[in-house]
Amino acid sequence: MLLVGGLFLAACGTSSVGGGTATTTGKHGDKLTVAIGIDPDNLDPAAQTTTTAQQIVDMMAETLVSIDKDGNTSPLLATSWTNSSDGLTYTFTLRSGVKFSDGAEFNAKAVKFSIDRMLSPDTFKSQKGVLGVIGQVDAVDDTHVKFTLKKQFAAFVAAMTQTVAAVISPGSVNVAPNTPQQIQQPIGTGPYKFSERQAGDHITMVRNPNYWGTKPNFDTQVYKIVPEATSRESLVKAGQADVIMLPPANDLPALRQDSNLKVLLSASDRTVQMIISTVDPANTNLQKKEVRQALNYAVDKNAIIKNVMFGAATGLDAPMSKSLAGYCSVGTYNYDVNKAKQMLTANGAAGMKVRLFSPTGRYVQDFQVAQAVAGYLRDAGLQVEGPGTSDWPSYVAGIVLATPEKQAQKTDIHLLGWAPAYLDASQQFEQFYSPRAAPKGQESSYYKNPEVDGLIEKGNSDPNATSRNKTYCDAAKIVWSDAPWIFLYNQKLPLVTSAKITGVVGIPNEKFSTVYASPA
Amino acid sequence: MLTYIARRILLAVPTLLGVATIVFLLLRLLPGDPAAVIAGPQATDVDIERIRHQLDLDQPLGLQYVNFLTRLVVGNLGISTRSGHTVVEEIFTRAPYTVELAVIATIAATAIGIGIGLLASSRPNSTLDLGMSGAAVFGISMPVYWLGLMLIVLFSIKFHEWHLGGLPAAGAGDWAGLVLPSATLTLFSVGLVARMTRSAMLEVLGQDYIRTARAMGATRRSIFLKHALRNALLPVVTSVSLQFGALLGGAVLTETVFSWPGIGRLLVDSIFARDYPVVQGVVLVFAVSFILVNIVTDLVYAYIDPRIRY
Repeated sequence: MLLVGGLFLAACGTSSVGGGTATTTGKHGDKLTVAIGIDPDNLDPAAQTTTTAQQIVDMMAETLVSIDKDGNTSPLLATSWTNSSDGLTYTFTLRSGVKFSDGAEFNAKAVKFSIDRMLSPDTFKSQKGVLGVIGQVDAVDDTHVKFTLKKQFAAFVAAMTQTVAAVISPGSVNVAPNTPQQIQQPIGTGPYKFSERQAGDHITMVRNPNYWGTKPNFDTQVYKIVPEATSRESLVKAGQADVIMLPPANDLPALRQDSNLKVLLSASDRTVQMIISTVDPANTNLQKKEVRQALNYAVDKNAIIKNVMFGAATGLDAPMSKSLAGYCSVGTYNYDVNKAKQMLTANGAAGMKVRLFSPTGRYVQDFQVAQAVAGYLRDAGLQVEGPGTSDWPSYVAGIVLATPEKQAQKTDIHLLGWAPAYLDASQQFEQFYSPRAAPKGQESSYYKNPEVDGLIEKGNSDPNATSRNKTYCDAAKIVWSDAPWIFLYNQKLPLVTSAKITGVVGIPNEKFSTVYASPA
Repeated sequence: MLTYIARRILLAVPTLLGVATIVFLLLRLLPGDPAAVIAGPQATDVDIERIRHQLDLDQPLGLQYVNFLTRLVVGNLGISTRSGHTVVEEIFTRAPYTVELAVIATIAATAIGIGIGLLASSRPNSTLDLGMSGAAVFGISMPVYWLGLMLIVLFSIKFHEWHLGGLPAAGAGDWAGLVLPSATLTLFSVGLVARMTRSAMLEVLGQDYIRTARAMGATRRSIFLKHALRNALLPVVTSVSLQFGALLGGAVLTETVFSWPGIGRLLVDSIFARDYPVVQGVVLVFAVSFILVNIVTDLVYAYIDPRIRY
């Protein structure tokens, strides 16, 4: 047996923002009001896909392991874990003496129940995703739970940080309004308990008095649903919200000047890119990697970050964010319009026509960024049409999940953000792995390089972290050079808090935690 | 009268069936797969397929339509694909907020609008009339989201800065939360009512029977309120009821600016999530409320003008 994680990390003193190992305590407060942009579809841990909804569920239901603010996988309900030498069995040692907020005992049976429920096809809209790799869950004894995998999956522990793997009190699924098929009010071991929800308006949580870890500072936290960015900004300016996510990006400079407020640019693992159809039947020039490289040189990413994103992004030096396990720096495409023009001319692509497409309001300044890219491509002598735009479901159907021919009816290059659900390179490589090419997956560049596919498969199953990182690094270098994307930037998650509040922290998988917020 | 109401309700059935069919077909014409939207980026095609099955989206379109109509007959509007709640439950948790706002705004706009209309028509083409008519045009022309934001800037942000408290800028909770969204809708509707009242009054005041009343020595007040207003009210009632019907359909922009959890926002969110059952349900509720408002309006006509008989 190999000792993989928990004890080592715990010994390093990594503090988890999601849970009990945090050592920070602050002043007591009555109520914290947080304004978010979307109304969660539901609060069932097993059915979560959106980070903003996940972070609310995370406050009530905890996972065995969590991602801390530095992006490390750290213990939460499990104190340590081991895996077998064949990489097929993982055994977690559970924290003892923990109770669910309904008073029931947290133990290995509850873990088995929750994971089995998440994997069950009867659970409404359950999202097992990569955790479908779990073949069997066994409660060895009260404090040990064993996962047997169907095949080797090196990032298994990191994948268990996802909200879908949260542990709920088994008895709570039979307490109305919950049903075994769908949970409306999650009962977990978290620092907060569900109190009330008015759909479309707010979700209220109260402090769990029996929380096993560091107790939070606010008695109550209200997450208000405020769809308009301007309205969220008004709330924090009017003192009616303590924390807001995603203010209007173009107001960031002014908000930074306001002494009553604090702007926090939380790290995120989301990369934003212009995805090039590498098999484009409408513009065969884009099938050449030199042409795609030229497009990368043609766009001034730093200027876009500064002037269009108002600083809410950092540049990329790899096809993934720095926070992922398996990241290594592989290069840069410094802005050089003359070089771009030369490369385009040399490859017979000078003045070619390209069509751009972008969603609007899905990511920070998305459409505006696509407009800026269009401008740079025009400067490089291209005939640019667009960017066109559409609502998100149409975008997913017509472009992201479309066949190459269908996508080519609309566009040659489209903007998309990609945020790994947990901080591992394997999640980012879904975008460069040809079996995941749309419409089967969401690899909408249709990029296919057998060498890269082989390296990704090797990395995904390699239990040795060092050789695994090297494999991913090699794959990243090839991807960077093949340039299936115009690599734009790593987006940050802008938050604004009242200057009277402290302790709000960003988590690099595009969540933020208000659990240990306190009056300043 | 009762026969009339019964006939109107019966006539509503084919209308509703038509609405149901049109919304069913239009939704399916929209590009976008609800299962793919729900499943999110990390989902496998197996996940998407399972969700499609759970939501009955893997059935042929004809069968989906037949199921929809059969369920509709017994008042079952289906299950929301977003929340898993029944559509009826979804609508009932959101509709009261919309009704609350619509009733308050309609009452306020009618009272203020008729008042302004009467004042303006009492002195046609005077400075007062021009001022009020100008204000009314301004009210009608202002984009409601801009107006809403301006009210927020003044009454929430500036009042907070001046340490005057400030009114809630978002959400439903207590009465205070109602002030700004209902004021926005009132300001928006009042202009129309005022202009309608003014022009109807001026038309009536020019008629022979008013001259006769004047000749007979009726007081100005009695001519205005007793003889003229009642006759001038019919077109005003029509415009107020149309406005009310539209407000019941959810004032989407106002609900969005003020984060009001009404039915308009439910509809928009559901369209973007391709939540077919909720969109179908909400549109049907709109149709029903419009039909009801129209029936009530007709009854009010008969009350105001006893010559109208059904």
